[in-house]
Amino acid sequence: MTPPPIASLKTSMLLLLAAGLLAAAGIFWSHQQDTEARAALQAQQTALHAAHARQEQGRTEARLIAQHIDAYHALIARGFVGEENRLAWIEAVHLANRDARLYGLTYTLSPRAAAPATLAGGLPLKQTRMTMKMPLLVETDLPHFLDALHTRAPGLFRVSRCRLARTTDAPPQPVNRPELDAECELLWFTVVADTGKVQ
Amino acid sequence: MFSHRLILLATPRQIGVLDWRPGHMHWLGEFAADTAGIAAFRQIVVKHAQLPVLLVADTVDEDYRSEILPHVQGHARAELLARKLKQVFRNARFTGAWRQTRETTGRRDDRYLLAALTDADWLTPWLSVLHRERVPLSGITPLAMACQQLLSKLRVQEPHTLLACRLNNSLRLSYYHNGLLRFSRLIGSDTPTQLPGNAADEIAKTQLYLAGQRILPREARLHVLLLDPSGQLDSAQAPLNADPAFSTRLIDMPSLARALRIPDDFLAATPEVAPLAAIAGEAVQLNLAPPELLQRHTEFRWRRGLNLAAGIVAAIGLTITAAYWLHAQDLRDQVQQTQGEAQRADARHAAIVRNFPALATRPDQLGLTLALATQLNRAPLDVNALFMPLGQALSAHPEVVVKALTLQDTADGTADITLDAQLSDFDGNYRAAMSRIDRFVARLAATPGVASVERLTSPVDTAPTATLTGKTTGEAAPEETRFSLSLQVRT
Repeated sequence: MTPPPIASLKTSMLLLLAAGLLAAAGIFWSHQQDTEARAALQAQQTALHAAHARQEQGRTEARLIAQHIDAYHALIARGFVGEENRLAWIEAVHLANRDARLYGLTYTLSPRAAAPATLAGGLPLKQTRMTMKMPLLVETDLPHFLDALHTRAPGLFRVSRCRLARTTDAPPQPVNRPELDAECELLWFTVVADTGKVQ
Repeated sequence: MFSHRLILLATPRQIGVLDWRPGHMHWLGEFAADTAGIAAFRQIVVKHAQLPVLLVADTVDEDYRSEILPHVQGHARAELLARKLKQVFRNARFTGAWRQTRETTGRRDDRYLLAALTDADWLTPWLSVLHRERVPLSGITPLAMACQQLLSKLRVQEPHTLLACRLNNSLRLSYYHNGLLRFSRLIGSDTPTQLPGNAADEIAKTQLYLAGQRILPREARLHVLLLDPSGQLDSAQAPLNADPAFSTRLIDMPSLARALRIPDDFLAATPEVAPLAAIAGEAVQLNLAPPELLQRHTEFRWRRGLNLAAGIVAAIGLTITAAYWLHAQDLRDQVQQTQGEAQRADARHAAIVRNFPALATRPDQLGLTLALATQLNRAPLDVNALFMPLGQALSAHPEVVVKALTLQDTADGTADITLDAQLSDFDGNYRAAMSRIDRFVARLAATPGVASVERLTSPVDTAPTATLTGKTTGEAAPEETRFSLSLQVRT
């Protein structure tokens, strides 16, 4: 083939070069547009899935609220949910002691601390240790007192430990004089309340 | 678009111009070989200066020669043909060679048709116009080559064909072997061919010449085609058909127009366009133009190729760009739809949440809180239940006096009871005391609800690893029988 007359083809070669550059620029630009649109769609689809999940969660929560709200309010009224009510607990042990016809008691309330995680199960559960000492006439006075406390208790508690010790070495006498010392540790439980309306 | 070209039919007296592109053609007129004609021709050329031009020469001063040459290729072939053309046509400027076929026997040489315009001075004014206007001349070819394409369009299959074509008051006789031009001659208007009988004579003489030159085999029957828009050759058919060496038929204008796909009336008005239309879309096989005249066309072809490449590149770029852009627009539409859907879902969620009562915890923790409260309500350390087995064992062993009792919640479903006790009476017989304690322990262990009983301390520690001290003064006190037990009770 005859070699190309380069000098007379400058315009056409520049045209070809320009077409190539323009085509490359157009492809690059439109590909960028396409990539950005694809990313935006991906983000929107993620947002849509999240919105659907929130909506479904809202429905589930609405069902949960409808199902449990009354019982939950009862727990609030009882003092299990919210701030600890030490005065009520003291009154309760005092009244339970009186109901069991015992001879008074001494108590110590420790600062509130976090309950063991295995027991809390992810909830903000707190426990307050109450140590009580009281004289007893017979061993069965202790369950009587604890039953009375369960009746009077405004919150939830558990008996962690109890120790009964005889104060004299003499055999039990049939007189109305307490010869047993009881020392019990109770754990009062409270769930810390979140503030504000749940979203 | 890329096949658009001008086809010129040049004779010593005039030149005709056909503007041709596939499916369309326009006869731009004929221009006499005088000053006015050349000026008019120049104006036409200027108007179409960007179109390639093929010049078809129709002249008496032409020469054809069949040659068989060794089969060579490339530069060697070019040199061989140049030498041969120089040798055959000497100083003729417009010469050309066409490699028609290759022999099937012997050395398998190539068969060439060499052709030349032996006197082409009459072409100079027309070529000057084309050169001045920088027109891309694609080639110069004899009219007989255009007629060969005409036969191809007419689908003539006979091996020995003589086309008698009467155009511009001249009779051209061209011989084709298997459709390939071997010989052609033009009988000008100054010769007495106007009579039909003379035309038949000329054809017969041409047949004799071809046979004498061994171009046409002697026994071959010549198929004569008569093409004459004026109809003057019609009368030559009968005398020719009377000779068994000929078979003659007329080519009527409608058939020709149909074969060339041009309107009847256009062909009837300008019958000279027939061979031009036949060769217009074909490649030039026999080009008589010297290389220097084809320089513009070379540039034209390169320029057209580059422009075509630029157009293709631009079109591809535009197509891909458009495809990406449209896809991006589609994605953006989807983004908007998805965004709207997400907003609607958020609005529905907000409407649900708006009706929630004020809670001190998250809704999902409501159930957990209730379950925890239920769990905590079940007291693991039920003192009454723990006292029950202990009371039963103590009732059965009144000699055991409890000194201290510790209940401990172990939070694994059991409770530890640590029991400090002593025997109520002791006579110094440790063996009997140990036996009574053992029975008490056995009784405890057998009590329902007691998982295990372990003795922590005994009145006498007989373990080989322990240090044992005591006295044997004969005095005995119950205090010396203190022991402690550890019980695990199921709650």
